[in-house]
Amino acid sequence: MRKPHFLTVTKRVFRDLKNDKRSLALIVIAPIFIMFVFGLAFGGGVKNVKVLVVNQDQGGAPVGAGSISLSEKIISNLDTEVLKLEYVDDRDAALAMVENGDAYAAIIFPPDFTSEAVSSMNDLPGGSTATIEFQLDKSNINVANAITKAVNDALLATIDQVGVQMPVSVDTVAVFGADVKFMDFFVPGIMAFAVYMITTLLTLVTFVGERTSGTLQRMLATTLNERDIVLGYAATFSLIGMGQAMLLLLVGTLVFDITVVGNVFLAFLVIALLAVVSQALGILLSSTAKREAQAIQVLPFVVLPAFLLSGIFWPIEAIPAWLRPLSYLVPPTYAVDASRAIMLKGYGIGKIWIDIVALLAMAAIFLTLAVLSLSTRKD
Amino acid sequence: MDGDGNGYMVEASGLVKRYGKFTAVDGLDLRVKKGEIYGLLGPNGAGKTTTIKILCGLLRLSGGEAHINGRQLPDHRIAAEIGYMPQETALYLGLTVHQNLAFFGEIFKLSKREIEEREKTLLEFINLPEWRDELVGNLSGGMKHRVSLACALIHQPPLLLLDEPTVGVDPELRVSFWDYFNGIKREGRTIVITTHYMDEAGRCDRIGFMHNGRLVAEGEPGELLQMTGTENLEDAFMSFTARPEVEVER
Repeated sequence: MRKPHFLTVTKRVFRDLKNDKRSLALIVIAPIFIMFVFGLAFGGGVKNVKVLVVNQDQGGAPVGAGSISLSEKIISNLDTEVLKLEYVDDRDAALAMVENGDAYAAIIFPPDFTSEAVSSMNDLPGGSTATIEFQLDKSNINVANAITKAVNDALLATIDQVGVQMPVSVDTVAVFGADVKFMDFFVPGIMAFAVYMITTLLTLVTFVGERTSGTLQRMLATTLNERDIVLGYAATFSLIGMGQAMLLLLVGTLVFDITVVGNVFLAFLVIALLAVVSQALGILLSSTAKREAQAIQVLPFVVLPAFLLSGIFWPIEAIPAWLRPLSYLVPPTYAVDASRAIMLKGYGIGKIWIDIVALLAMAAIFLTLAVLSLSTRKD
Repeated sequence: MDGDGNGYMVEASGLVKRYGKFTAVDGLDLRVKKGEIYGLLGPNGAGKTTTIKILCGLLRLSGGEAHINGRQLPDHRIAAEIGYMPQETALYLGLTVHQNLAFFGEIFKLSKREIEEREKTLLEFINLPEWRDELVGNLSGGMKHRVSLACALIHQPPLLLLDEPTVGVDPELRVSFWDYFNGIKREGRTIVITTHYMDEAGRCDRIGFMHNGRLVAEGEPGELLQMTGTENLEDAFMSFTARPEVEVER
């Protein structure tokens, strides 16, 4: 069988990239860089948040027991990885510190905290609910949520320890991802994002070069046609995309110790498909730029929607309903969903076929448009 | 129109190419015989480059028709018979001289050995044999131009469409270029060349003077001098291009 004509273009693009150390660095180093930056920045969760504790509780004695302090128990149950506790005697001083931004929160136990709680638990007359005063700086949502969760967890743990039975309980069973860490969840997303961004960027810039230098016209004056050129690029970048996915998975496994339960080769195929869509998009966008500098102007429109809407960091369900349809127009959405389902849940092709069909449809549409965008140069 | 077998490599009649309101080529008739070196002369904006691009099949015609080697455009099969050297460098700056030549050779399905043999000859001809493995981006403008010419020649097409192939080439090398072109001609292959250099035009078998998208005069260099009674082609050209304007002024 004769070698398909487009492979000539594929070979040339590979040679070009091989000679160009910068592009090579972009292909190899950028995805790893992105993984490290986001992985380290987001992966750690909230830690060492300065929280003040004002404990004025004088303790109390439950019926038939010695004197105890509920507040001390709660404090001892606070997660000290998340919270960096600092004890302050004076309530007003603590409030002033929170107001000045010296601490994120103040947890204040009133003097009668334990005794109120004890009378309330024993249904003694005159007893009211014991109240913790919780002064919280909510301006940083992530930190505020982490503090609130730590305090609630400590309360629940304490209630459990003192032997009070809650009337209802929740039994959580992990259907998937019993031991999933942030990075396990994150690597499939970053794979899709990095491949999408780098492929689109690289084809965009390369293709503006092909247009401005005259090489595109020169190719079109040979036996190569528009389809050969687009397919030649598609072949190159699908292989590169797969390579990048493998590299990210390797680094993810070695450095971040991620766990993969599914078939990684299926995930690589999904990423390769995404790369085909991305390169076609890059070629298409290159027709809007007359110079390489103009190519930069379309970048925000390529990168940001994918970054925010494709479900890499937060689920598409967290995006306002009216904005959600846009998520389904961003190619990485399907790749993120599919590679996560494969790698975290072990899904096979039977369960992710919708994502694959969506990517194939997008590939067909963008490839056709890319071919047409080259033809219109023949005006 | 029966183009094949009548001895014409290029046969175009009434070619029109408009870009919006601007008419780049305006009813051009052009016939180039097989085995001929045909020079298209004219100032910038005369429509030379547009004409070459039309003949390459790169532009959609607004009017008229063109045949290359008997095939009416558009017909992608003519691509294999054409060696096109664009005006701009149109090379991959990130590839070496060899890799550029190899790419254009591979497009035309040349074997590795064919590419290497032809490359050797071509590099001698453009006088850059020791630059084979240098990145094209590191070459001077004139050198790039020579590599670009070599890329158009590597598949040994029967028709060469060369858009200003000698710009930035020093006089000595230009002489050897013309020796090479004459060699191609002796093989029965055809060359259409655009140029600014009048001394070069004198080496063509026939010349067409282009002005405002039209062919204002055509003939062998000697004929044109005789017709106009001028000493050199520059003056001959001036006398043709001046005419219509004089008429307008009247």
